[in-house]
Amino acid sequence: MNTKEQSFNPRGPIIVFSALIFLTIATVLLSGLDIGNTGALLIAMSVAAMKAGLVLYFFMHLNHEPLIFKLFVTLAFVTLATLFLLTFSDYAFRGIA
Amino acid sequence: MSEQAVTVEAFHHHDEDGTRLGFWLFLFTELLLFGAFFIVYGVYRSAHLNDFKIAAESLNTGIGTTNTIILLASSLTMVLSLNAIKAGRVKLAKSMLLITMALGTTFLIIKGFEWNAKFAHHLFLQTSAAIAEGKGSPLLTPGPEMLPDGQVLFYGLYFIMTGTHALHIIIGAVWMGIVYFWIAKGSINPDNAGVLERCGLYWHLVDVIWIFLFPLYYLVA
Repeated sequence: MNTKEQSFNPRGPIIVFSALIFLTIATVLLSGLDIGNTGALLIAMSVAAMKAGLVLYFFMHLNHEPLIFKLFVTLAFVTLATLFLLTFSDYAFRGIA
Repeated sequence: MSEQAVTVEAFHHHDEDGTRLGFWLFLFTELLLFGAFFIVYGVYRSAHLNDFKIAAESLNTGIGTTNTIILLASSLTMVLSLNAIKAGRVKLAKSMLLITMALGTTFLIIKGFEWNAKFAHHLFLQTSAAIAEGKGSPLLTPGPEMLPDGQVLFYGLYFIMTGTHALHIIIGAVWMGIVYFWIAKGSINPDNAGVLERCGLYWHLVDVIWIFLFPLYYLVA
């Protein structure tokens, strides 16, 4: 472990934080647009996914993790996305939701 | 003699990568827990789109945005705390951890005020027993004054999802208190900061979940 050799440098985290704040303000402003329900939901969820990506990759240090960590995290989110896709496609064709 | 020393060394072997990977596995179970909530939200939202929009209008976007910024800031101070301890700046690490706890507590206090306003409007979850005894809120009890099903579902999901999230904030803040104590005692130090790192991972995941809760409850009205 050569952790002691690292010096304290807040620059990187502060840049990521600024990007997160920017995206938060952007998503609030964009939610005021009258672009219909699906469009609004799509935009809001895309911005949220970007923010989550920034937190996962930089704040949770996936950028410094071995490849196996990145694969596991990707697999976890793919699993979750599969559950979403299967459930929603099922309900969409039942017509009752 | 030397053989014994080797055995003791092997017994105390600690695999930091393995520990962290195990902790990520736990975080995946948290994702599934909240993932199930999001599925329920998605299905009922599509079934009661208008009711969800009307009910969501009663939530204050300003409060939601403030709380989002507070949580993002707490994630920043958490990262800085870990960076500081790895650089040997123990005092700075402790201050950053305290600020993170304070921000988490601020989030909870704001959330508390927000819930309180909803309680005042009789919009809290109610047991079927209370409703059967006639003690339920008229807004949630079947009858002429009752809110449409979709809005009842919206408020129910709102309390369950933000409540489960708040529970995670409380656990995170308590854990930070313990970590702070261990840093002060010296058992968490620049050479052994794994516990602080895992506490940080947990805190960031709670932040990630809020990143998705925020637009679904406060923005897509």
